[in-house]
Amino acid sequence: MKKIYLSLVMGAGILFSPHISSFAQGDYPTLSQIDQRLKAISGSGSPAKLISLVKTEGGKDIWALKVGTGDMDNKPALALVGGVEGFHVLGVEMSLRFAENLVKENASALEKNTFYIFPNMSPDAYAQYHASLKYERRGNAAKVDQDRDGRVNEDGYEDLNKDGFITMMRVESPVGEYAASEDDDRIMVKADRSKGQKGKYMLFPESRDNDKDGKFGEDLLEGIAFNKSLPYKFPAFQPLAGEFAVSQPEGRALLDYLFDQWNIFAFVTFSPANNLSSPMKHNSADAKKRIVTSMLENDVALNAMVSGLYNDGVTQKAFNQTNQGTDGDFFQWAYFHFGRLSFSTPGWWIPEVKNEEGKSNANMDVNFMTWATAEGQSDVFVPWTAIQHPDFPNQKVEIGGIKPFVRVNPPFAKVDEIAAEHNAFILKLAEMRPNLEFHNVQTEKLAGNLTRISVDLVNNSTLPSHSEMGLKSRWLRKIRVDINKDAKDLLAGDKMKLIEKLESYEKTTLTWIVKGSGNVDIKAGAPHVGYASLNVKL
Amino acid sequence: MKFINCIYTAALGAALTLAATSASNAQDKYFRAIGTPHTPKVQVSWNRYHTNLALEEIMRDMAKKHPNLVKMESIGKSFLGNDIWVLTVTDFKTGKPEDKPAMWIDGNIHSNEIQGTEFTLYTAWYLSEMFGDLDFITELLQDKVFYIAPTINPDAHDYFIKEPNNQNSPRSGMMIFDNDGDGEYGEDPFDDLDNNGHITMMIRKSPTGRYVKDPMDPRKLTMVAPEQKGEYEMLGYEGLDRDGDGVVNDDGIGFYDPNRDWGWNWQPDYVQRGALRYPFSVPENRAVMEFVMKHPNIAGAQSYHNYGGMILRGPGAQEDIDTYNASDVRIYDAIAKKGEEFMPGYRYLVVYKDLYSVFGGQLDWFYGGRGIFTYSNELMTSYLYFHKEAGRNNQDEQLKVDSYLTFGDAFVNWKEFDHPQFGKIEIGGFKKNFGRLHPGFLMEQDAHRNSAFTIYHAYHTPKLSVMDVREVDLGSGLKEVTATIYNERLMPTHSSQDLKYKIEKPDYISIVGAKVVTGFVVENQDFNKVTEQKVNPEKIAIDNIPGMDAVKVRWIVSGNSNYSIHVESAKGGKASWKK
Repeated sequence: MKKIYLSLVMGAGILFSPHISSFAQGDYPTLSQIDQRLKAISGSGSPAKLISLVKTEGGKDIWALKVGTGDMDNKPALALVGGVEGFHVLGVEMSLRFAENLVKENASALEKNTFYIFPNMSPDAYAQYHASLKYERRGNAAKVDQDRDGRVNEDGYEDLNKDGFITMMRVESPVGEYAASEDDDRIMVKADRSKGQKGKYMLFPESRDNDKDGKFGEDLLEGIAFNKSLPYKFPAFQPLAGEFAVSQPEGRALLDYLFDQWNIFAFVTFSPANNLSSPMKHNSADAKKRIVTSMLENDVALNAMVSGLYNDGVTQKAFNQTNQGTDGDFFQWAYFHFGRLSFSTPGWWIPEVKNEEGKSNANMDVNFMTWATAEGQSDVFVPWTAIQHPDFPNQKVEIGGIKPFVRVNPPFAKVDEIAAEHNAFILKLAEMRPNLEFHNVQTEKLAGNLTRISVDLVNNSTLPSHSEMGLKSRWLRKIRVDINKDAKDLLAGDKMKLIEKLESYEKTTLTWIVKGSGNVDIKAGAPHVGYASLNVKL
Repeated sequence: MKFINCIYTAALGAALTLAATSASNAQDKYFRAIGTPHTPKVQVSWNRYHTNLALEEIMRDMAKKHPNLVKMESIGKSFLGNDIWVLTVTDFKTGKPEDKPAMWIDGNIHSNEIQGTEFTLYTAWYLSEMFGDLDFITELLQDKVFYIAPTINPDAHDYFIKEPNNQNSPRSGMMIFDNDGDGEYGEDPFDDLDNNGHITMMIRKSPTGRYVKDPMDPRKLTMVAPEQKGEYEMLGYEGLDRDGDGVVNDDGIGFYDPNRDWGWNWQPDYVQRGALRYPFSVPENRAVMEFVMKHPNIAGAQSYHNYGGMILRGPGAQEDIDTYNASDVRIYDAIAKKGEEFMPGYRYLVVYKDLYSVFGGQLDWFYGGRGIFTYSNELMTSYLYFHKEAGRNNQDEQLKVDSYLTFGDAFVNWKEFDHPQFGKIEIGGFKKNFGRLHPGFLMEQDAHRNSAFTIYHAYHTPKLSVMDVREVDLGSGLKEVTATIYNERLMPTHSSQDLKYKIEKPDYISIVGAKVVTGFVVENQDFNKVTEQKVNPEKIAIDNIPGMDAVKVRWIVSGNSNYSIHVESAKGGKASWKK
């Protein structure tokens, strides 16, 4: 069986051609379909190289695609990261679509750029989308005592109504905090007791209290969430985060790999956080502390510019996009700890549905149900149905609620348009890369065999060579200028010179006084800004 | 057969004779000095430094000569593939090591700070040689286990010793990075121009120099007054500009600081210089972390650094001040203040306020991440030379030491050298094994005092006993059984940091052999305030058993059978009682 699978995969690889990578499918791919598509993308003749960075605790590959041509380690690179949350299956599909589109339709982008695509950082959790029991999962397959009571994974979700979905459970109780929404009685809303409202239900995830600690579903049958386990604002000892940052093989493998790729200038992450619909806010107090927790001022301006580009190309209007990062997540790590420009978008969100008066419902679930009804989606809600719950023998318990995944992932039919718009945006962002050029070369003969060379090194880009944060980081290289003359033949000017930063459209003038004749080569650059070179005849 | 027997008998005879001879020799030759193993099975000179080769020989010898007291294991490999050795020292005949409260001791996280290695090894040697000789040590090893890692940085331990270095280099392990930002790795290290194994200083005669050689002591360079003309200029540590960037010695080993790599409030390099990629990205630290995670019985820990005569505790940074609360600080204070009394020249300090800020330090992870009471001692202080506070790097005092105590062993006299970039220079100065490191004649005493501190610390890890069991007849065949569990030492089974984050599982007190109706934690026996544990009442979970204090649990049992009571605590060990 294993052999057959392998040869199928091999077959797909050998058959690589620009046409094969479009799959006709009606739903988000399974892990094995993802593997097949990645192998198709990276088949022989493709500019994409497929690398397995590591296997997860659940035995699944963490894949990286490195796509480029020529001296690809020295071309500015954009890195794309999907599946940072296991339940965000859209992000995985969008990463795959970008990779397929890049090698198929946009190979010319590889002349100036290299791309890294990490399509799925949470394969263990992703698998839950296709499992017989479906729920929005974040954690990998590690065994973790989430509630830290000395027993491991003993109180996870339980499919009490046997419908294959984990939804919610409401228990009638005079002390319950929740009541049915006046706008949509399927939706539970918190009663505002300060306004004299009274709740009717206690609300829990569909589960039992196996360990009899009075809590429901608090020791999930899952391990560590990739997007909650990175070192920036690491939430130590919280469920799904682990005992210390980067404790899992997938986190370590990705970071180890990234720290060896010096050419990445920006990240785009598909995750629930969004700093593309609108940029991060600047907080000068937080930016000045030694542990910096606000994007720095100049970088907020860059974020705003890129956000403008995003909103020009992505038609969906921002609605309820307030998440600009959560503790221990990846996209903030890429900026705050890795010093790269870092952008994140969920790719899709539930659109705002307005009534005749032009107003939308403040409750996001009510808004969702209105939208789903308008879209003709009848399969998004499990109606509240009473069950016998062993932990509440004398109370009325009902299972129901919005099905998993549908609030964060659009119907698959919508992916074509979403992916096309995002692909175009990402390619435009890649084109914005810092871009070093030599201009205005002058050679002046001085007396004897001495020549003065002067030349402007220009960053011909809307992006600076180093973001404000990048300038602080030891993990971005400075711009290095080399002239291939022996030090003894240089009467003035450095044989090797380091330049900290060139702003957007900034120039610096370099001069040397060189003894001798013939040609000299001058080279300037860094992996994440690319290299410019110049040959000067003395 | 006869022949073999004969050989055997002869060998046995020879062995007996030899043993008798050496014993009688000892009696003839030596008189016991109080406080030191008199006839140690493992002979070690505690007045010199050992290379990895010698360390391994001594450790193997300890394990061989004390098979019931010392076991040696490799907990992982260093970056260059050296073993990181840990000695487990306990009385293996009394209980399982993993069931005893444990003390972790390590040295040499910073490469040049090698006396920690000798001090940890001394502790293992002292404990194993004194077992059976002193009741206190014998009982200690019955109750406790010591995990001792003489060097958690073996690569650079030997690199410091064997390759040219100064007293401050290297601090990193042996991974090499691009320190000057030019894209090249380690291309401009120190150069031992005079080939003596020590990186000393370079000076040059110069009409604009601001220094003169002191006419009273030509070893010493003195700065002239502002209006005076000097004779020498300083050129820094011995080396060349190998990469042609105009800077000498600007890209050597490292740089990263292994003590900024630990997973509690870890911060990147721009916040905390020396941090590497992410917590535990230094392989040697990762090995230690994995060992500690697998040994939840570790209740106390000690790491050794140099220099300055300090007993340090966290927090490492102001931002972490809430991590250390009053009830834990009380215990930290009690142990360390006692240590100050028997370690002259050592002061008890708090890292962030008395030293400098450290994010990602080892002691913060041990305490913040694992709830382990941890100190870090800065070994060696100039106080030990003349019992005066002359201050760190007091050149006059150091020159005096080398004149009257070490007789020229510590200083390389100035000598001319033709430098390819600077021309005629002079090279000289203090050797790498002077200043931060103990001279031989001060080592054994300081090793002993620091060991005594870790022994005191280990002694005060929790010790639990079932102090008292009382029965009350409730009639109808029911009995109320109340057990008091006592912790005879200073430390609780769970530090307050541990309780805050539920780092370690609760302590369990079980009754076996009785038919349990229900169980309680007794909050107040006098007024019968109890909390019932409905689920699994035969195994009562207790959050913590405080130091020098007791907890009470109660069961209602039916029938008249005999029963036993068992206490199980990750950091407090085990105790039981039987009816």
